[in-house]
Amino acid sequence: METFIQEMKRYLGFTEEDAALLRQIGPRMEKYLPELAERFYSQIRQHPNAFRVFGGGDAQIARLKLTLQGWAKGLFGGGYDQPYSEERYQVGYRHVRAGVEQKYVISAMGIVRAFFSECLLLEFPASDVRLRYARAVSKILDLDLNLMCESYMHASMQNLRALNEQLERANRDLAEASRSKDEFLAQISHELRTPLNSILGFTKLVLDGLTKTPEEERELLRDVFSSAQHLLGLVNDILDIGRIEAGRMALHVDDVDPRHVLDSTVPLVTIPAAEKDLELRDETHNTELPLVRADEVRFRQVLLNLLSNAVKFTPPAAADQPPGRVAVRARILHKPDAPAAHSGNGFLRIEVVDTGIGIPEEKREEVFEKFVQAPAGRRYGGSGLGLAISRRLVELMGGAIGLENGEDGRGTLVWFTLPLASKEAAKLPPASREKTSTRAPA
Amino acid sequence: MTATQSEQKTVLIVEDHALVAKFYRMALERAGNFLCVVTEDVPQILADVEAGRVHVAVLDVSLANAHWQGRLIDGVELAQLVKRAAAAAGRSLPILLATAHAMSGDRERLLAASGADDYLEKPVFDAQLLVEKVRRLLAG
Repeated sequence: METFIQEMKRYLGFTEEDAALLRQIGPRMEKYLPELAERFYSQIRQHPNAFRVFGGGDAQIARLKLTLQGWAKGLFGGGYDQPYSEERYQVGYRHVRAGVEQKYVISAMGIVRAFFSECLLLEFPASDVRLRYARAVSKILDLDLNLMCESYMHASMQNLRALNEQLERANRDLAEASRSKDEFLAQISHELRTPLNSILGFTKLVLDGLTKTPEEERELLRDVFSSAQHLLGLVNDILDIGRIEAGRMALHVDDVDPRHVLDSTVPLVTIPAAEKDLELRDETHNTELPLVRADEVRFRQVLLNLLSNAVKFTPPAAADQPPGRVAVRARILHKPDAPAAHSGNGFLRIEVVDTGIGIPEEKREEVFEKFVQAPAGRRYGGSGLGLAISRRLVELMGGAIGLENGEDGRGTLVWFTLPLASKEAAKLPPASREKTSTRAPA
Repeated sequence: MTATQSEQKTVLIVEDHALVAKFYRMALERAGNFLCVVTEDVPQILADVEAGRVHVAVLDVSLANAHWQGRLIDGVELAQLVKRAAAAAGRSLPILLATAHAMSGDRERLLAASGADDYLEKPVFDAQLLVEKVRRLLAG
């Protein structure tokens, strides 16, 4: 800025004599400064945006007037160096921030100029000295105007730069969103085509007369049926993910009896478990469980997803091995592992344990993402959306979900929590309730 | 060797979805009178290719169980291995890539990367079309 001031002083032919003249008249101009500020701001108030600009009201205008008086007083210091110029810059910034456009400040500066001429006429009636003073004041006002314009330009450039950065960020976010949308679409297209291949293929084999016996045709029909069921599951999962990601998953949360949900859900995997000779055990059977806050349909969906996964990823035992096992357990958590946001009535934690292939520790976060199956590719079928959906549903119901090692480091333990219904809180032993609500001093 | 046996060609099918593999096999056997080998066992596949026990291959791109040198490989890499093994044994083995990757650009990208000879987009459901594709590949 120093360079800029020096440049301007040279450009305007500003001399030491000018500085001395200004210092001479300065003390006699001081009494006019309040009126100057008055005129300046009544001019600025004609600004079309005045209502918005001076939204701060009279107090703000009073402050601005003081700033302007200070600046005008500074005009007669004659030095025009760093401290003064910085002050001028600040005045410029303040006007930019207040939304006063440059052209209106320039026209208001015309008022200042005219007013100083009037003052000089009043103070120095002798024309020769008055002309010298007027020339010096004029030069200093030119310099000031340049400085102000510079500060305006600087401020708007900064605004533009910030705006540009915002736009670039928004652009990057959009590109990223569009890319992940494309990937999602490609994945969905891929997933849908596989069951369609079987449905269309087997149907056409029969229609083309390429089958040999009615038994064979029935067998193919069963394949078509199971592929169509798989397709329906995919469509439902995709709709769920779509709703969740659009923030439009409507839940009907109520007090729900987990006993009822368990008793109606566990039997749904009895047949697939039996087909692999797995032992399926509900260890909560016949015990009373506390009511939870949940959407019953979604609660069931999550539980079924976890149970199906457990059965799917637990292979049938080899000849000399004990059979694979899938078990359901439940316990009350007084101190929630997970969401701190919950008010702290406690949680019901439901676990599904299997003795299956397990999930390596480093993949335990990843499997909650869309279309990821661990450990191996897509060997197990399914949409690859189940855990992603389950996580979001559980979180929407105020709980959490996670993975741990199964028993003896074998297989997988998947747990999820649901908040207890408020009437259950009263039943908790007082000591344990305290644990959640207060923190012991160190 | 009878005349029929010498004319009957063997198609290698590598496809990790059992039902899709089943459809390929039925379609090729019934509509094309081909013999079929369905497997994802990479060493076995390469041995069959080198020994000339298979004459044409239908490969899926996303494979779940194809292991090679301690890691999983996909159909693109398998196609390269197969082509190399065939060339080393002085044979040619045409490859039909059949895949559910059907977004624009997939065809060109996958054909170029794999060195496969032709490309079919799933769902592949017309047995006759599949047979024609395979016959055309065999005819060179």
